[in-house]
Amino acid sequence: MKKIKLKILMSLTLLVLCLGACKDKEYAIPTASDKLQNDLIKRSLGPNIVGGTIEFAYAAAILPEKGKLSSMTVEASIAGAAGTYLDNRFFNTSSSGADVGTAVGDPSVTIGKSTSVTYTGNFSAATLRYFYKIPEEARGKSVTFTFTAKSSNGETISYQSGPHEVRNMDMALDLVAKDGTDCYISIEDMKVYNAAFATANPDKIDLVYLYRTPATVTYLHSLVAPTADPSYWPTFTMPTVLKNKTKIVKAFTVRDQQLARIQYGVFVDDVDLSSKDFADAPDFAINVKAEGGIWVQTADGRYNAYVYVNTVTNTATVKEMKISIKRLKVR
Amino acid sequence: MKRILLIQLILVLLVVVSCKKDYPIDDDGLLITQRADCYVSNFELLGADFQTVRTKAATIDTTAQTINVEVLFGTDLKNLYPQFTLVVDAVLDPKIVGKVDFSDLTKPKEWTVVSGNRKVRKTYKVFLTVKQ
Repeated sequence: MKKIKLKILMSLTLLVLCLGACKDKEYAIPTASDKLQNDLIKRSLGPNIVGGTIEFAYAAAILPEKGKLSSMTVEASIAGAAGTYLDNRFFNTSSSGADVGTAVGDPSVTIGKSTSVTYTGNFSAATLRYFYKIPEEARGKSVTFTFTAKSSNGETISYQSGPHEVRNMDMALDLVAKDGTDCYISIEDMKVYNAAFATANPDKIDLVYLYRTPATVTYLHSLVAPTADPSYWPTFTMPTVLKNKTKIVKAFTVRDQQLARIQYGVFVDDVDLSSKDFADAPDFAINVKAEGGIWVQTADGRYNAYVYVNTVTNTATVKEMKISIKRLKVR
Repeated sequence: MKRILLIQLILVLLVVVSCKKDYPIDDDGLLITQRADCYVSNFELLGADFQTVRTKAATIDTTAQTINVEVLFGTDLKNLYPQFTLVVDAVLDPKIVGKVDFSDLTKPKEWTVVSGNRKVRKTYKVFLTVKQ
């Protein structure tokens, strides 16, 4: 008898559990806080590099009946370089997909470490974008940001972001090396030079860009060190003063997003450059292709770099290679 | 009652023991099988950028135990990654654990293929030529 009672009790419990599990909670619209609120996202990805930009989107809102937004301020722990600003517009997407900006006030004012926008319109909610141009002073350091919003009813709210580490490397984008003219590449300067400059400054020249189409082998767009075997720079007269034996390692799938600015989520960071192994590396890279690249160590061992090939052109009149460089001083 | 329990215990032990099979494995934990086949079926050679450096398919002579491969002009011969495809269950000796220096073209690199039963060993020589 006891066993039967236990069974009935267990069955009832299960039934209750089943019924309870099937019960849907009715959705209720959340009640908005009546305080001034804020939120932040960091829009830029990848290593923070001097000269580059860290981008944020800072949002603040207050119930319309409580007040209006009166200002937004961003304070960086290290003052941004020229070009740092807080956009005075928020954006909507039009039916055609374009960003349409609406100004909330005058353009931002930067005084020292602080950048502000004062609202002049009647806005209870807005998201503004902040662009921090990384200054030289921040190299190798961390930078933090304090975002602050104020409303007309006297409320203030803040959001801290960071620390964000700034890397030691440098970056140069879209240098164009031209076969026969501006074909001498300096890693130290991250520039492309002509023969006259190269001859006058041989220590600076680490790579020579050539485009050739020999009959029997594939050469096409190539990057060679001045010391490479002459068979690797056919029909070219290397200035005799050039002596740098640059170490070169070919790469193909390292499509750094900051250099390539295409869809791949790959980033070359300080640690990649400093830890790259150049033992037994040759001094030539033959048939380098677009979206490929080369790891480079200068002859004096002072710089390690990654040279990404953005595009190559070989039309009847133009033979050139567009490159972008990340470079780290290692000694 | 005790006798029944004892008999049951013995039966369980018998079942457990009867299910155990002895699979021989080598030092790398790989199965040693009955297969005596021992050859290379494909050969690939990658450069430092992990792209092929071959100009065409490698020529594999399983009788002479040679592999001839022509590589592109400008190949960095000191930093190459060979990849062997072997017959089922065979292994390579020595193992390839990183880049290999092929720069001395007069001295072909050698690898030994060991059959699945680990009783047949065939040493292949890899000859490189650079397209000129």
